[in-house]
Amino acid sequence: MLDVRQLQFRYSGPTPAWEFNLSVTAGECLAIRGASGSGKSTLLGLIAGFLQPQRGEILWQGHPIHTLKPWQRPVTSVFQEHNLFEHLDVFTNIGLGLHPGLQLSDLQKQAIDQALTRTGLSGFGRRRPGELSGGQRQRVALIRAILRRQPLLLLDEPMTGLDPDTRTELHRMLLEEKAHGVAMLLASHDPEDSKILADRHWNL
Amino acid sequence: MPSPAEFAPLRAPLSHPGWQLWPGLLLAAAFVALAGLGLGSLLSAAEELNPSSVLGSRYLRGVVAFTLWQAGLSVLLSLALALAVARALARHPHFPGRTLLLRLMELSLVLPTIVAVSGIISVYGRQGWFTGLLEHVAPGHSWNLYGLNGIVLAHVFFNAPLAGRIMLQALESLPEPRLRMASQLGLRGWWLWRAVEWPALKPVLPGLSALVFTLCFTSFAIIMTLGGGPSSTTLEVAIYQALRFEFDFAQAALLAIIQLLICGSLWLVVFRSRLDSTLLPNRRFAFSAPLKTWPGLALANALLLGIFALFLLAPLAAIVVRGLPALWPVHSLPPVYQQLLPATGRSLLIALPAGAGAVILALLTLAASQKAQGPLTRTLPSVTGYLPLVVPPLVLGTGLFILLRPSLGNSAQGWVLVSVINGLMAVPFVLQVLRGPLNNQDKSTLQQADQLGILGWYRWRWLYWPRLRRPVALALAYGVALSLGDFGVIALFGSPGEPTLPMLLYQQLGSYQVANAAGTGLWLLLCLLAIFTTLTRVSRPAPRPRGQPQMLAGAEPDHA
Repeated sequence: MLDVRQLQFRYSGPTPAWEFNLSVTAGECLAIRGASGSGKSTLLGLIAGFLQPQRGEILWQGHPIHTLKPWQRPVTSVFQEHNLFEHLDVFTNIGLGLHPGLQLSDLQKQAIDQALTRTGLSGFGRRRPGELSGGQRQRVALIRAILRRQPLLLLDEPMTGLDPDTRTELHRMLLEEKAHGVAMLLASHDPEDSKILADRHWNL
Repeated sequence: MPSPAEFAPLRAPLSHPGWQLWPGLLLAAAFVALAGLGLGSLLSAAEELNPSSVLGSRYLRGVVAFTLWQAGLSVLLSLALALAVARALARHPHFPGRTLLLRLMELSLVLPTIVAVSGIISVYGRQGWFTGLLEHVAPGHSWNLYGLNGIVLAHVFFNAPLAGRIMLQALESLPEPRLRMASQLGLRGWWLWRAVEWPALKPVLPGLSALVFTLCFTSFAIIMTLGGGPSSTTLEVAIYQALRFEFDFAQAALLAIIQLLICGSLWLVVFRSRLDSTLLPNRRFAFSAPLKTWPGLALANALLLGIFALFLLAPLAAIVVRGLPALWPVHSLPPVYQQLLPATGRSLLIALPAGAGAVILALLTLAASQKAQGPLTRTLPSVTGYLPLVVPPLVLGTGLFILLRPSLGNSAQGWVLVSVINGLMAVPFVLQVLRGPLNNQDKSTLQQADQLGILGWYRWRWLYWPRLRRPVALALAYGVALSLGDFGVIALFGSPGEPTLPMLLYQQLGSYQVANAAGTGLWLLLCLLAIFTTLTRVSRPAPRPRGQPQMLAGAEPDHA
């Protein structure tokens, strides 16, 4: 269970401060709504540890995680784009999510190949992200996120700009994860995404 | 559900932040300490002498004045030529041979001075092509290469292409909208200059002028070979003579201090105004829009670029044409190889460690500067990039020479010192090659890497190395090339009986073995060519399997 309590953040300069309070339980998807600039990405960045809050706390299972480094937190982020290392091939991109030095067991290598096959990306392992379509790239990013087996997924407009078929595929993958007990935070403009994935809504 | 502690990922080797900070910081500190040691020994040696007696000497005042005069003149002429060439190149982004000309302009950076000088002598010297032509056109002319003529000519030969590339880069990185507007308004001449070109060039000019001035002010090989007499001696040569022939360490120290003060204060002015100085041209994609021109401008530009290309090519052609017969085995291997091969070995022994050391120092200091927090630790790594420009190699060498003089027994120790100093001198150029690729990782890449725990060694292996292998190879080639062509520090520490390639060439030039000198020059050029091609070959990414198109190849800079 994720608890965000009185989490305050303000960018430098004359900008208003934000305060966030929310909680998400395992297997639940909370959709965050709000116009652009309302702080959706900021919130997800704070939970991932890319931004440092001025005040407040983030608890996971009752333990504070806002003091941890990004790589120590139980989260995986998927953004609208730039989720992959452009200079590395698809297999390496996914593999680095399983071991940060790509020291993979045979089992893990098989898991990557299976996941690629299952999502129609069989044989794409040696291609670079630049050679893939936007939808294919997003599927790769999601495979990596899923194989990392972190209990909290932070989704920042992951479906924006994709074709309907790809969206359906990604929805299916995400619902499966939810059924496995993964908690999700979804920032999305699209009402359909929230309708299919979200259990609750929260307006910023 | 597991507790957060269980999410702690596998610890990557060398992932402690200290590994990124301390090696670079320590190396930079050692570098500063070495420079301090050299300067300290200079100061203590200079104490034995009364400065006023030296400054009162007419000879030395003459030396300082001539050094300033030739450097100033060289800067003016180099920049003027560079400006004209850069504008012409910017105006004509597509013409056959343009890429070749740009390559030729980059060559001046790695071309050993002494080799270029031998080529220049073959063209403009007494028996040179140009001189012969001049004799035909204007009999009874008074052209004499040796003296100010030759010095300035050689300095322009080296620095105009370098300055031209940097100016061209500034012109090519003009913001697209501004260029479009200039095109639509039909600006040309003065207003094109005022509105478009000058604002683009203004930021690079101070650093560029300081760089060219420093290079001309401290040039050694050119003055040694083309100076032709005490009336055209510079500080650098006077230091060398005081050390090697007069054994007057106090005077050498004083001269070195004068040189340091002038170079140092110049760079201080550049730093004060917080000007970013570019030392190396970068290749990037340029936007160009058709601009309104004067009638005949294209013709004038073609003429200018043609003459400029000839100016750069002629000495190189002379080296090849005159050097080939000396190297080519007709019946058996020519006797020159008996000297060439050991000299090559010595040169590589000095240059390879120097190049590798420069690359390692540059990488570690760059890494440290990313991590450094305090104001002092933050500046220390960037100091290594400029210290070699402020403290010229011969000054540093002089200080260390005086310091180590009694214990500098065998030549091997001298070579180690030469290798170290050469490596340090290459650092500013190597840094310039590596800085961009190392620092330009985009935010999303770094965030991903953070989230996935790709730290320490893993970060280097998967994030930096794939992008840096080509720049590292290029930087290594630059470092090795600069050291391979060094004829300054080696003159101070080396022994004439065991010459490196540039020393051998200098000896041959000095004893009028013109054919052998040309052969050595060509040999040195071939060595450089071999180094550059080998390193770029090795660093090329492995061929992709299944013949898939390599999308990224076009985005990477296609370096020589």
